[in-house]
Amino acid sequence: MSNEHAHAPAHDDDEHNPHLAHHFDTMGQQTASAKLGMWLFLATEILMFSGLFLAYFILRMLYPEMVLEAHEHLSKWAGGINTVVLLTSSYTMALGVRSIQLGDVKKLRLMLVLTILCGCIFMVVKYFEYSAKFEHGMLPGKYYSAHLHGYEIDGLPHIFFGVYFMMTGLHGIHVAIGLAIMLWMFVRAGRGEFGAKNYVAIENTGLYWHLVDLIWIFLFPLLYLVK
Amino acid sequence: MAKVFLNGQPVEHAHEVHEHISPMSTYNAVIGALFVLTGLTFAVSFADLGPASLTVAMLVAFIKASLVVAYFMHLKYDDKYHLFVFLGTIIFVGIFFGFTMFDMKSRDALNDEQETFVRWKEQENAGKGLAVGVDNVPERRAKVLAEIEAHGGGHGGGHGGGEHKAEAKAEHKAAAH
Repeated sequence: MSNEHAHAPAHDDDEHNPHLAHHFDTMGQQTASAKLGMWLFLATEILMFSGLFLAYFILRMLYPEMVLEAHEHLSKWAGGINTVVLLTSSYTMALGVRSIQLGDVKKLRLMLVLTILCGCIFMVVKYFEYSAKFEHGMLPGKYYSAHLHGYEIDGLPHIFFGVYFMMTGLHGIHVAIGLAIMLWMFVRAGRGEFGAKNYVAIENTGLYWHLVDLIWIFLFPLLYLVK
Repeated sequence: MAKVFLNGQPVEHAHEVHEHISPMSTYNAVIGALFVLTGLTFAVSFADLGPASLTVAMLVAFIKASLVVAYFMHLKYDDKYHLFVFLGTIIFVGIFFGFTMFDMKSRDALNDEQETFVRWKEQENAGKGLAVGVDNVPERRAKVLAEIEAHGGGHGGGHGGGEHKAEAKAEHKAAAH
């Protein structure tokens, strides 16, 4: 026992680290556990969204013309701007993680602000898109009334807009939650809770945000672009 | 200090946090590639590729997703167990998609044989079209029509003939109920 201690003087560093929870032996183990947990959570997220993607593919298979016709009513430009905005936010988030890896808390906070800003732009564009859809009666299921507003789409467009609103809506909720988490991380970073050896919360926030970006990478071409 | 195990393997320098720090040039190259690929999908969507467009769009999306996962999410440098979790998920998504699509594609013959979706088929055969959205709820439909009336008629988009044709078709559908 005492022999082991003699071999490991570096462990002192960990034992005094105030951010090491008592049920972990080392910071390395704590970090690895948190990240594994995050990846398992992301796995459930992917599986949840996959159900919606499958609904889209089935709808497309059953009513190809209808999906093509209905998607013409979505704004390619709004979707394109949101794609660029979300990719940029992923970039700033990745740079934020890099900053804290190098121990630069100030730059981390700047990057978090930039990421939050991009997320907000995304939500504003989404708001205008949704408003236009509401106004034209392009709503899901029994709320669909675009044909009464003079927009004829053959087939079952109320199901297409059901899928559209479920996919973009669930994605939008994820963006909103991401914004709240990043605000929380911004505050925690300000309190000096993160450093070059203790940043797994930032890294996990990044992983979540990148997943939100990842889902949009598939949503955008499928809903807005595909012919 | 007790021996530390991680993912079933003893950890040799457990006190260290092993993290790969990518240089700025990597992040810049990745975001550049992502923008270029986004531009490519956008441009391709205007070209008429027919049935190939879905394949092309999905291929580009997969490349973009791989870049984000490998470099932004650090899976390239991370513990291989995280890669295993991620790829495992993708495999299950593949099984989910594969079996469901196979079922959907081979279902038509079964539906005809077992006469499922009879109401749907009868309506279509009678040329009545399908009841869409508010058409299924007469009260809500009346409410929406009243609202449109109050706002001085519909928006009458140039899509498919405008208000009058839509109105006539909607009345026709309502009468069918």
